[in-house]
Amino acid sequence: MAFEQINHKVVSTAVAPGREVLARRGAMLAYTGDVGFSPVHTGPGGIGGLAGRAVAGEHVSMMVAQGSGTVYYGFAGLYVTIIELDGSAPLSVEADRLVAHDAALQSTVVFLGEGGGLRGMVRGAVSGQGLFTTQLHGVGSVAVMSHGGTIALPVRSGEPTTVDPQAYVGHVGNVEAKVSLNASWRDAVGRGSGEAVQLKMSGSGTVYVQASEQKIR
Amino acid sequence: MQSFRLNGSRVLEVELRGDAVRAASGAMIAYTGDVAFKSAGMGGGDGIRAAIKRRATGESVSLMRCSGKGTVWFAKDAMEIVVIDLAGDTLKVESEQLLVVSDSLRTDVAFAGLRGASSGQGLFTTTVTGSGPLALLSAGGPPIALEVSPQYPLVVDPQAFVASRGQLNQTFVTDVSWRNLVGEGSGEAFSLRFDGTGVVYIQPEER
Repeated sequence: MAFEQINHKVVSTAVAPGREVLARRGAMLAYTGDVGFSPVHTGPGGIGGLAGRAVAGEHVSMMVAQGSGTVYYGFAGLYVTIIELDGSAPLSVEADRLVAHDAALQSTVVFLGEGGGLRGMVRGAVSGQGLFTTQLHGVGSVAVMSHGGTIALPVRSGEPTTVDPQAYVGHVGNVEAKVSLNASWRDAVGRGSGEAVQLKMSGSGTVYVQASEQKIR
Repeated sequence: MQSFRLNGSRVLEVELRGDAVRAASGAMIAYTGDVAFKSAGMGGGDGIRAAIKRRATGESVSLMRCSGKGTVWFAKDAMEIVVIDLAGDTLKVESEQLLVVSDSLRTDVAFAGLRGASSGQGLFTTTVTGSGPLALLSAGGPPIALEVSPQYPLVVDPQAFVASRGQLNQTFVTDVSWRNLVGEGSGEAFSLRFDGTGVVYIQPEER
């Protein structure tokens, strides 16, 4: 069940029995038809997922829309981008960037320090993204918000794409994110290029970046 | 000639083929290939004279030099981007509205009359001269290009001013009266007047 882009900042989706939608609390703008909203406590990841979330601080209250009708979503005047998942690869995204997604998608919290070891932890710390991220698996649509809209950049093997951690939104595919410190003595004395910390994405897939270096608050 | 392409209206894509561009520090959002980022130095890469002028005038511009082979994407604060090609002429621009300049262009500081005082940018403005493309930022929406001709002078709000190009004479207009002192002013006490022939770019948001 696809999301439909109404304008840059609003999306709509149809809700039907068996086709629920999970959304960030407060993101519903309007709805038509017979739709009920209720908070999600356990989350799609079950109790384990909830515990993981609580520990991770990667916790954004979600609500589920059930019934039949159409719901309009938007949040804080931010740009909303729809990402379609075909099931071949999960989407990694910060929980606070999620506006809404199909309830059929499985969401898990991933500890970034695990794969990347110390570097992964450094990555989380320096990029201000925390050590945990949310992964969405399955087939369905996701609405992600950003400051100024997102563009999709391809990541090809042997041709890594490097992004500014502040502009990073999420990525799909078999992509590994590694922090690369490009700091020099110039940065210490304030004469640096302003691009000391970079996220190097290698593998194959797509990385989404936003047209701004402001985080979602 | 370097190619500046827009990806959407708020992201600029620049292809580097062993050449270089100078960009606002920190404006890179992504790149592929082998690209190096280095502070362009005090003068924004224009030597010691420009550096001293900048120091003295406070018209600071923090640029980084991006060189190598690859593609670089630039964006800043979700502002709209406009690409302008210069062909040997001069563009006057607010330094904070500058996103990327081709390395073939020269940047310098020029006296801007009393205009700078009103916009809080000092009395000086940044000039860009030469042949090549540059990208400007516009806050609040796409920039608007207004034509100025001898019969039709243009008056703009200094806070909305982005850049000007052509044979233009800039003057500072004040409309300060006793009303401003008692807080009954219109809120538009200072304006910028352009006479001559040229184009003025303004943004839909006031700084």
